[in-house]
Amino acid sequence: MQQVKDVVVVGGGTAGWMAAAALAKVLGTQAHTITLVESEEIGTVGVGEATIPPIMQYNKLLGIDEDEFVRETNATFKLGIEFIDWRKRGSTYFHPFGVFGANIKGGVGFMNYWLRWVQSGGDPDYTHFIAEGVAAGEGRFARVPPSSDGQLPRLNYAYQFDAATYAAYLRRYAERRGAVRHEGKVVDVEQNSETGYIEAIKLADGRRVSGDFFIDCSGFRGLLIEGVFKAGFDDWSHWLPNNRAVAVPCERIEDPTPFTRSTAREAGWQWRIPLQHRTGNGYVFCDSYLSEDEASRLLLERLDGKPLADPKILRFTAGKRRLGWVKNCLAVGLSSGFLEPLESTSIHLIQIAIMKLFEFFPQRDVNPVLIDLYNREMDVLYDHVRDFIIAHYKVTDRDDTPYWRYCRSMTVPDSLAAKLELFSDRGETRWMPSDLFGETSWFAVLYGQGLIPRSYHPVANALSEDELELAVAGIRTAIRRRVDALPSHADFIEGCCAARPAATAA
Amino acid sequence: MSEPLDIVILGGGTAGWMAATALASLIPPTRCRVRLVESEEIGIVGVGEATFPEIRNFNHAIGIDEAEMMRATKAAFKLGIQFVDWGFKGSNYIHPFGVHGPVGMDHIFHHRWLRARSLGLKSELQDYSFAAQAARDCRFELPETRSTALDCAYTYAYHFDAGLYAVYLRGLAEQRGVVRTEGKVQDVVHDPETGNIRSLLLESGETISGDLFIDCSGFRSLLLGKALGVGWEDWSKWLPCDRAFAVPSERDELSPYTRSTAMEAGWRWRIPLQHRTGNGYVFSTSFIDEDEAAASLMRSLETRALAEPRMLKFQAGRRLVNWEKNCVAVGLAGGFLEPLESTSIYLIQVAIMQLVPLLPGKIVDPRLRDEFNRLIDLQYERIRDFLILHYKLNTRQDAEIWRYAAAMDVPESLTRKIELFRHSAIIERYRDGLFPPTSWLSVFIGQGLIPESYSPLADTMPGESLISHLDAFHADLLDRVEEMRRHDRFIDLYCGAERATAPTATEMRL
Amino acid sequence: MTRRIQQVVVVGADAPAWMAAAALLRSVSGAGIRVRVVELPTLLQPVDAHSALPELAGFHHRIGLDEDLLFSLCKAVPVAGRRFSNWSGAAPPFIHGYDRAPPPAAGLGFTQLWIKGRQNGLRTDFENFSLASVAAKAGRVPAAPKDAELHAAFGYNLDAAAYSALLRQGTIRGGVDSKVGTIADVEIEGDRIVSVILDDGERVEADLFVDASGPRAALIGRMPGADVESWREWLPCDRMLVASAKALKPLPAFSQISAFRHGWIGLFPLQDRTAVVAVYDGRETSDEALLEDLPALAKMPIGGDAIVSDLSQGVRRRAWVGNCVAIGESAFSLEPLDGAQLHIVHYCISQLMTLFPVGAGAFPEAPLYDRIIRRLAVNLRDFQLAHYKLNRRFDMPFWDGCRDAPVPETLQRKLDVFTARGRVPLNDDETFQEQDWESLFIGHGLMPQSYDPRVDAIPEQEHIAQVQARLNDIVGLVEAMPPVDAFIAGADDQRQTEMTALG
Repeated sequence: MQQVKDVVVVGGGTAGWMAAAALAKVLGTQAHTITLVESEEIGTVGVGEATIPPIMQYNKLLGIDEDEFVRETNATFKLGIEFIDWRKRGSTYFHPFGVFGANIKGGVGFMNYWLRWVQSGGDPDYTHFIAEGVAAGEGRFARVPPSSDGQLPRLNYAYQFDAATYAAYLRRYAERRGAVRHEGKVVDVEQNSETGYIEAIKLADGRRVSGDFFIDCSGFRGLLIEGVFKAGFDDWSHWLPNNRAVAVPCERIEDPTPFTRSTAREAGWQWRIPLQHRTGNGYVFCDSYLSEDEASRLLLERLDGKPLADPKILRFTAGKRRLGWVKNCLAVGLSSGFLEPLESTSIHLIQIAIMKLFEFFPQRDVNPVLIDLYNREMDVLYDHVRDFIIAHYKVTDRDDTPYWRYCRSMTVPDSLAAKLELFSDRGETRWMPSDLFGETSWFAVLYGQGLIPRSYHPVANALSEDELELAVAGIRTAIRRRVDALPSHADFIEGCCAARPAATAA
Repeated sequence: MSEPLDIVILGGGTAGWMAATALASLIPPTRCRVRLVESEEIGIVGVGEATFPEIRNFNHAIGIDEAEMMRATKAAFKLGIQFVDWGFKGSNYIHPFGVHGPVGMDHIFHHRWLRARSLGLKSELQDYSFAAQAARDCRFELPETRSTALDCAYTYAYHFDAGLYAVYLRGLAEQRGVVRTEGKVQDVVHDPETGNIRSLLLESGETISGDLFIDCSGFRSLLLGKALGVGWEDWSKWLPCDRAFAVPSERDELSPYTRSTAMEAGWRWRIPLQHRTGNGYVFSTSFIDEDEAAASLMRSLETRALAEPRMLKFQAGRRLVNWEKNCVAVGLAGGFLEPLESTSIYLIQVAIMQLVPLLPGKIVDPRLRDEFNRLIDLQYERIRDFLILHYKLNTRQDAEIWRYAAAMDVPESLTRKIELFRHSAIIERYRDGLFPPTSWLSVFIGQGLIPESYSPLADTMPGESLISHLDAFHADLLDRVEEMRRHDRFIDLYCGAERATAPTATEMRL
Repeated sequence: MTRRIQQVVVVGADAPAWMAAAALLRSVSGAGIRVRVVELPTLLQPVDAHSALPELAGFHHRIGLDEDLLFSLCKAVPVAGRRFSNWSGAAPPFIHGYDRAPPPAAGLGFTQLWIKGRQNGLRTDFENFSLASVAAKAGRVPAAPKDAELHAAFGYNLDAAAYSALLRQGTIRGGVDSKVGTIADVEIEGDRIVSVILDDGERVEADLFVDASGPRAALIGRMPGADVESWREWLPCDRMLVASAKALKPLPAFSQISAFRHGWIGLFPLQDRTAVVAVYDGRETSDEALLEDLPALAKMPIGGDAIVSDLSQGVRRRAWVGNCVAIGESAFSLEPLDGAQLHIVHYCISQLMTLFPVGAGAFPEAPLYDRIIRRLAVNLRDFQLAHYKLNRRFDMPFWDGCRDAPVPETLQRKLDVFTARGRVPLNDDETFQEQDWESLFIGHGLMPQSYDPRVDAIPEQEHIAQVQARLNDIVGLVEAMPPVDAFIAGADDQRQTEMTALG
């Protein structure tokens, strides 16, 4: 059985360099070659600037020092996403990282006790019961281990960074470890006549790069996965109509908030991602309801600082490559599918593809069973993330524009419909280990979007009323104490991971 | 509850038939079946011919029509008991079934009377008791129940032929489903494990089994005492009488009260019924022999004797508990207190009416049994103490029994009561059992215990007002008594033996 | 005849002292007996409130106190009962309603019909057959026009300081001689108080001294043989905190008692505030920790005026020694779980009147008073103890302890007979009657295992009709009752603002 020796990554950017850096760390370049082919000409998308906590596993895999990484990428910390105007104009809710409350003896999740408590007159703002939410609201942050009494876990967070800088950082990492970069545009692909496997790619300048396994990070085009293997595309635009994004950085005018903000607009939503050196902004929208020019204009109007560049337009279609892995080619990043960055999932999907590649790492002769497993697992992940994002649109009271009226009334996938029904009944979401978004996330978003459960798990009634009050008050106090001990986000960054001036070049 | 409880009553007479009728009337056959075993051979005691007002509740509960019952039992009304020569020779007081003084003021009235006495008023406490005055004057009317007028200041009981009462009840009981078996018990069969009584083996060979046994076998206490071995608590040191002679005599004046006359070695009763008078002498063989006692009784009769005197033997005391395992004693099988205050039928009634709500299932719940025993204990003790009081509170030097009684040690609880009344004219009240304060008051005062003082709360009215109030009340009382029908006339109209139909309301108002 | 009582001196403060003085004024001053009060410093704080049982109305009537004044001057709120929550963990709360003896049904106690009904599938809770409990839940006051007969009554929550002031004013106007002072010493010879020496040197002498000084027991505490028998082994709570919260709107018709980990929290609505009382075991939690948890447990913010004190529960071996009679808390003391505090004072005073000594030389009335007061104390203690014994808060050491500990025979007997047959054996000197104990036991989940067999003689149709009729009657009666706010407003309308003379 012949081993895969030569791995070729087609395309740079976040996807390509995440793949290359991970390969360089895990496979190493003593017995393998890792080659990445990218073209400066082809711009990288660079809107994927906020992340979710699993990225720490990726960084840990690579042995990246967090403080160094934060410095190098002008990163700030992220405790969650603030959603403004999503339920209705004037509403706000927070989707935090972290868990809701703490375990109350009894064996059912805290949200059930909280629902019971709210029904008997308690405060219907759940943010008070999530430490990350309270800290975010007060602009505080620090790395916090689990509490000594075991009542509260560590403070959960992710990063907000400049994706281009991240890619550059990873490129340095990968090249230090022996990955080789080729500058060039792919013009042709050589396949084995019998097996159909890709054997080499040919660049515009005539070079030929051969390999045993190819990772397609070529973006929306899917040069290999679609161009060669015609994997096909599942179009999800009937559920997720947004197909444009206009992005523009602006001046940082205040201390960076330790969270991303997403504000629902007339035909989509606007992101605001604070970095150490500037703020990233964008308007994700559907061009059937709003023109690109109008969207750009509106975005510029709504910036809270001076724009630092011209607005850039991206065009996309929500959906997924029907097969992410065909023969000896794995699509990673935009080539495998696109879901709008509403819940900062883009980098995560890249990361998962890479992690699964290591899990399923093939022989030269790829076992179709591995391909099948991989594709099915990725399907499940994509569907899950898709459903989660759709929920933000479907569950809303907004009906003030045709766009929202469409979203509100559209039919949704059966899987999501079932979840909404169960939640509406008793605030539960049946969580599977493969799910990315857990109970806390679904609860935060669905409740925040206005879906108030009719009841809750009956076991929550077994607690006497006074014990419930004490438990709820106790958790609230413990969270309050934890957050009170945190410094401000800006002070924290200043203390350990402020970017050096050299790194602030745009 | 699937199978009904099988209840076997051993013994007839008042106890047995009261129990049988009550159980059959109050509890449906789905819940219990009642069987009564009696023998004509075994004589019924039948001296319990005067009763206590509670009997009316019993009759009402089992749906007995008063007039009909009175007709069947040749009954007359009873407003109280007259005690003659008790305490001192020449005493003559009535223990009334009613309060002294106006209704609602009974807790303070005697204090006021004592004060008035100290200011010179010459009157008897009795003068202010409606029931006592009516009784003395041989008058009777049914009391009103809802007002504070004189007319509701009393209640009443009956004099009746207990034998006829038992017969009357038997008729009702058998109508209501009680099965009577004639027979004498030869042996009692126990359950080997629990010791419970399983069945009775009759001389005829018949076996009567049951779940619950009611022992109405009289003094012999065949089940509770003999078969289950429940011990006896003897009270004869306080109540030395151990015999009674009973003899009927011709009908006399139909006075609405029992008379009890203290004698040389005990006391004599006189109970007037519609058809005859019941007489008896309760005495102690420690102080007189049987022949002398019989002779004394016959000499004292006021009308012609209708039979030879019959003697009964007994001892004052009670079984240590009245409910043991699955056997409940009712009547003499459970204990005996002389009929000085007509409490025998009362004790039967109390046992039955406490048993009914606590009736066990096929397995006896000891909690129900313990509660029953506790309640019966209270009843016995309270009556016992009151009876002892009659004996203790005396200054007679003329006979040994009285000297003995005056000197004897009595229960601590009774001593306290006597001393407190002597000092402060205070009478304790309690919830359960007999006797109400008005009864204690009548005996204390009637037998010569005049308190040394009275409550200062009686001092709040000016002296002259007080006396004139009392005089006015007494006068009103006498007027009202005079308006009452005569007792014998009332009896004729209400339930006379000759009556074929019940009296009409108008007749009763005449 | 020995020398009569000529002078009675009441030593104490607050409601007990003035209640005693008013009662004496009414009953004995007409007999020429002088009544004097030595007024010790008050034990009351502004947060203190009284919670009174309906029977207190009888006392007010006898001393001539117009009850409308309670509503206009003492911030009174009428309550038809107390609601107990969380004593059975997560089971629903129950109300102990202030019912008088309910009318029989088909000649038997209605409770027996209910027990059988329950066994046969009747789902309606027992509480719905209590007129007072239904009224309480509906926010209504069991008050009826003079001619109507209601078998429920209302108690009330009162501002303690205002009530005391009201009684004081009326009693002084009625002619009671009173002097403010503190006790420097008490001269005792054998079992007699010869004199009470005040701080200003006055030697106060009397034929009879009434100790109305509350837990201070300023007089009885010094008398021979009157030491306290503690009830700590059964009643573990030994701390009490009193605070205020803002007034509830709308005013409920009941007080609320909620159990928690270390004891219970009471909320007593008054017109201008809610009195918050916490009674707890000081060995299980500190005062500070409790105060921190209190807003969550009371479900409302707590004012900053909380007062904490020790609570000791027990009864004096003798409440009347020689010429010294103790009333109220000087005689015995219980936590305010069932609101009997003023009732205890009232009962002691009533018994004192009934047993008023006929002479100044000897006091044979005293042992009877002792026995009566002890019975009163034991019965009340048992009622309170039953709450703890019947708790169903499992897996909490404090509550497990209360449930597992054996109780005195007097209470065990009540529990046994009630469990066996749904009957409540009552002793002499019971504050609470059958219907109160039934409400307590059934409310805490104690279900009788069988019922009076006479119930089986009632045909099924009639049984159902009786049950239905009882429900309907209660609904009808409650509908006609006034809501709390309207009742208070009505009382205000007729109000006197001036306290006339009492006694």
